[in-house]
This record gives sequence, C-alpha cells and structure tokens, in this order.
Amino acid sequence: MFELLSRDEIHAIHVAAMEILERIGIVIQHDGALRTLKKAGATIDKKKIVKIPEYLVREGLKKTPSRVLLKARNSKYDILIGDGNSYFTNGFGAHYTIDLETGQRRLSTLRDLEEFTLLSDYFPTVDYIKPNIIPQDLPKNILEQTMTLAEFKSAEKHCSVISLTSEGFRDVVEMSTILAGGEEAFLKNPSIIDAGFNNVPPLKYSEGIIEMILECAKYRIPFDISTGALASGSGPVTLAGTIVQGIAENHAIVVLTQLVGPGTPIMWGSCATILDQRYGTAAYGSPENGLIHAAFVQMAHYYGIPYYGAAGVVDSKVPDAQAAYENAINALIATLAGADVVHDGVYGILEAGVTACYEQFAISNEICNAIKRIARGIRINKETIALEIIEKVDHEKNYLTDLDALKFTKKHLIEEHWQPVITDRSSRSEWERKGAKDIVQRAREKVKEILATHKVEPLEKDIEQKMMEIIKEKAKKSA
Amino acid sequence: MDLPFLEELKRVVIEGDVEKAKESAQRVSESDIDPLEAITEGLAKGAKEVGDKFGKGEAFLADLIMAGEAMKAGMAVLLPKLQAMKAKRKSLGKVVIGTVKGDIHSIGKDIVATLLEAEGFEVINLGEDVPTEKFIEKVKECHPNILGLSSLLTATMLTQKEVIEVLEKEGLREKVKVIIGGAPTTREWADEIEADGWSGDAISAVKLAKQLVAEKETQLRV
Repeated sequence: MFELLSRDEIHAIHVAAMEILERIGIVIQHDGALRTLKKAGATIDKKKIVKIPEYLVREGLKKTPSRVLLKARNSKYDILIGDGNSYFTNGFGAHYTIDLETGQRRLSTLRDLEEFTLLSDYFPTVDYIKPNIIPQDLPKNILEQTMTLAEFKSAEKHCSVISLTSEGFRDVVEMSTILAGGEEAFLKNPSIIDAGFNNVPPLKYSEGIIEMILECAKYRIPFDISTGALASGSGPVTLAGTIVQGIAENHAIVVLTQLVGPGTPIMWGSCATILDQRYGTAAYGSPENGLIHAAFVQMAHYYGIPYYGAAGVVDSKVPDAQAAYENAINALIATLAGADVVHDGVYGILEAGVTACYEQFAISNEICNAIKRIARGIRINKETIALEIIEKVDHEKNYLTDLDALKFTKKHLIEEHWQPVITDRSSRSEWERKGAKDIVQRAREKVKEILATHKVEPLEKDIEQKMMEIIKEKAKKSA
Repeated sequence: MDLPFLEELKRVVIEGDVEKAKESAQRVSESDIDPLEAITEGLAKGAKEVGDKFGKGEAFLADLIMAGEAMKAGMAVLLPKLQAMKAKRKSLGKVVIGTVKGDIHSIGKDIVATLLEAEGFEVINLGEDVPTEKFIEKVKECHPNILGLSSLLTATMLTQKEVIEVLEKEGLREKVKVIIGGAPTTREWADEIEADGWSGDAISAVKLAKQLVAEKETQLRV
C-alpha cells in the first residue's frame, strides 16, 4: 500500500550496495567462511576483508527461497512467510521486567520468559514467537538451553530460538531435533525453528555469529539477518547511506549461506535506526526507523526475498502515550509497506529492548490488531457495495430499523468491523461505572486473566525428558 | 591575561574546527602566553562548554566529538612548549578503556571515552577486541585511576570477569577502579564479578568515574 521509493531510487541503492561489496568489502572474522568465499570467487585480504563481486550476489539470491513455511507444534499455527501477509512477532531480549504485581522494575526471570511466551501464544496478533526475555536468574552455561525448553513448553506457535553463543546454539539445535521427532524428521523439516542474527556495523561480522549461521546453513534452518546500523553512529547519518550499507552487510550473508547450504531460507532486513545525537542513544521509536523499513521492504522484494524488519520497538520507559505512538507508527509503516515479517511488532518491552512490561504487551496487541485490520483493507464487491440494501432501507428507515439491513449487518459485522478488547469506546457514564480506568489498568487486568486461564498443550513427556537431559549434562560439564 | 587569544581558542574548539585550532595554538606557541593557561582557560573551556550543553541535551554528539578533536589538535601543538617548561595539565584522572576480547563493538565505549575527555579526564582508548593481557599491561604501564571494560555480547561478558580475576592475581586489583558497561550487562552482573561500578549510558558513566576518583582521593587522605 505504501511505496516509498521509485524504480530509479531502488536501482541507485542496489548499485551502491554492490559497489560496497565489491570495492570496500566486509570483514568476516571466520577463517572457514573466508576460505569458502575465496574458493567461490571473492577476494580476501590479510585483514579478513572480503570483497564480493556482483555475480556472486545474484547467484546467492537465486538460491534463496522467496518464501519459508515456519512450522508450529500445532500445525494450525503454521505460517508461510512471503505469501503477501505481514506476520508479526513479539519483542525480543529484555533483561529487566516491570513486575506485574508490584510495578517495580527488577531483573528478568525464567518465569517471566514462560509467562511472556504464554501471552505470545495467546495474543492473536503474534504469528510466531521470539524469546521475549533473557532470564538473569540462570547460570550462563545453561542459559540458552533452559530458555529453549521454556519456550517450547509455553507455546504451540512456531518458536524462534535464542542464538547467543555457538556452543549454546549447538545444544539448542539438538533440542530442536528432539522437538521435531528425531534427527531424520528434523532434517526433513528444519523450519520447526528459526534463528536470528545481526552484524557489527559498519561492515563487520564476528566469528561466533558466522559460526552459528554456518550451522543453520548446514541444516537449512531458516534464519533472519538484519543490519543493526545506527545512522550517524555505526552507519552514515543519511538514511539512504545507512540503507545502502545495510544491504551490503546482509548480502554478504546471503552469498556465504547459499554457498554452504543452497536453499537455506533467509528472512532479510533491518533493525537499523538513527543514533539520537543529543544523547548518544539508539532511537527506535523514531519515524526514521519506519522510513528505513519502508525503503528496505522494497529492496527485499526487488531481490525477491522476504523482508524482516524490527518495526515497533519503543524508547519510552513507561507504558504511556509515547510508547503507544512509537509502537503504532513504525509497526504501521512497515505493514503498509508490505513487510513480510514485522518483528518486535507486538512489543511488550520498553526502553529500547531493555525492560519487559506486561501491560505494554497487551496494549501493543491491541495496536497491532488495529494495524492488521488496516492491512486487510476494504472488501469491494457487489455484496459489500450494498446497493440493494441501500435501496431497501430507502429514506424513511435506517440500518437499525430495517430487518434486511439488520440481517446484512449480522452477516458482515465481524469481517468488516474489528472488535477491540481493551480499547474503551463506551459512553462516559458506562466508563465511570466500570471504574474510570485507563488502558494501562485494563491491560493489566487482561494480562492477569490470560495468565490465569490460557493453557498450552504440554510437551510429550519423553520429549521434555530428553531436553532436560541435555540441560543436566551441560550443567554438570561446566561445573 | 590575553583574553582575545583565549577567547579565540575557546571559540575554535566550540566550532569543532581542527585546522583553526592548530593555527591558533601555533600563534599562542610563538607568543609569550602561558601554554598551560591557553589549554585550561582556552581550549578546555571550549570543550567543557560543549560538554555541558551536551549534558543538557542541547548539543549534538558530533559537535562534542569534533570539539574534542579540535582541543586535542591544539594541545598537540602546545605540548613541546609545555614539556620544555616542565608544566603538566591537571587532569581529573586517567582512564584506560576498551572493548573486551572477542567483541568488536565500539560506539558506546567511544561515546564514553569522548565524554570523559570533554570532562577533563585523560583517556587511553585501547579500541576493540582487546586481549586481557593488553589491559593488564596498560594498567601496569599507565597507572590509570579507572579501567573501563565494555562488552556488547552475552558471549563476551565473562571476559569482564576474567580481566578482574587477572588483576587480582597480579596484585593490581587495589590499584585501579574497574567499571563495566554494555547492553547485556547489569548492575547485578557488576556486583557478581566485584567490579567497582556499572553504567548503562555514557552520561552516568562520566558521573561514576568522577565519583570513583573522588572516593579514592578521600580514602588516600584518611
């Protein structure tokens, strides 16, 4: 619906990105990857700078699927990324939480992760689930493994797994094969999970990240790669410059991945934004963030691959009007521009990814529901144009007093009018009667209700058992 | 007092003009103006003004960094004369800062370094992916008041702990205050690894550094 760039602009950006890849190059701190790239035709220098010719990018893109079916434990939640819909994820990576009972900001716990995952499973706007919380109450050596079991247990929707260290990731992949029903089943269907990676802008990739990407390529595990540049800090101040740099950064991974594991699905995009030059902080709720997504979506589609963007991240430290507008405008722009994945869309985190907030999650679910309604557009057909009904109701009656109009309403109401859950549209007297609450209070109540009542199908006993074994083994080994 | 000269030095730093700073410093160097006064009442005043504005959200990081560059350029021109006079600029303290081994993130740490310099600290920025041995070497060589360790990956956070442990083993732990920062770090992590402080942003990092230096001075006097 929203096309920001013209064809010429898209082309100009593409050309510049190719120049960066071929003339300036990308640092890849992984010797194995460097060898693979050299063998394929890239040039490598002593400083581990890889210069990639355009033909390798075209070849890599040819092998990258235009869509990826993300499979869920419960197949009714399977989603086909790239089918034209915008799919939303919840937020990623908070390490503080605003306690639901006390309102105090405290370190995040494993229990928070379980609850946020359960909420993600419940909220209809969340299409697949990212690790919302990085628990701070777990020993570092079993962090990723414990997080993964918690995610799998607490949701029936597709879970994106944590990918922080290559050692932890290997265990996470092993646990995923158990979830899939064994190594063979996993190899046939690796998209029961997916992972996510970022580079170190400008133009660099660290060894650990490449190691995990190669692991994904080996098994054809889908992953998202998104540039994290901050314009005027780790990318040029101009949005165009940051976009061009980000494309080059992403494509280096497309090339490498398809050389090692042809056909590995990649969700490609951006979590870039501007660096606020007044404070030296990343400004995710800025309109510039949304604009970057709009342009980047078009570039992804120019390349024929699905777009993944972190659109909806909030800078506000409290669930206030700032948080609401920041989440809304960027998730909306990304959706209207046609993003295939609106990551961090249903955003239950404040403070640019630091502090999880239950109320904010419910509010964001409401906002994203409105956005999804907008994305559905207006149905224009003979029936919805309603000429016959308009004629029938004529001048004297109205749509509440004519029986045919009422039947027509009943038939189309749910499809045409989105019914919000925690948005107040009642009369003033009704609102006062119910306690004159604001949306934050209503959100809090709704969350408590969901946590008390929403149930997820437990994991099969032997699957959970095997996963616990892996965690126990790792705990013993590193003790 | 030579007010016009000092005003000029202050102005070129506020404008962030490296070339003009060198020229003005050269003129001062060829005159009989006290180079130390030129630095403290001229160049540094300019940097402080931009730094204060930045603290209030009224100046941009780019302006701050360029002011710092202009100040350093001017100071470099005046250094030979200073050394000849055996004069030394009084600094708030010395800070060695870097991103730990295995981690190539730089921006946050560089913003902290710039703000510390603007405030009046002498900063030795070791860059990124700094081997633990190098941190230790620099602590031995430079006797900093503060060692700042940055880590932006969960995987490299443990290295912050390692650096502190090695300082302990080498009998250096008491000689320097260690502060840590970086997105995955928390105050609780700093407590766990027995760092002297933690900061989640550049502005409070500077406040922390000033506080720690002041504490040490009080301790020494006691």
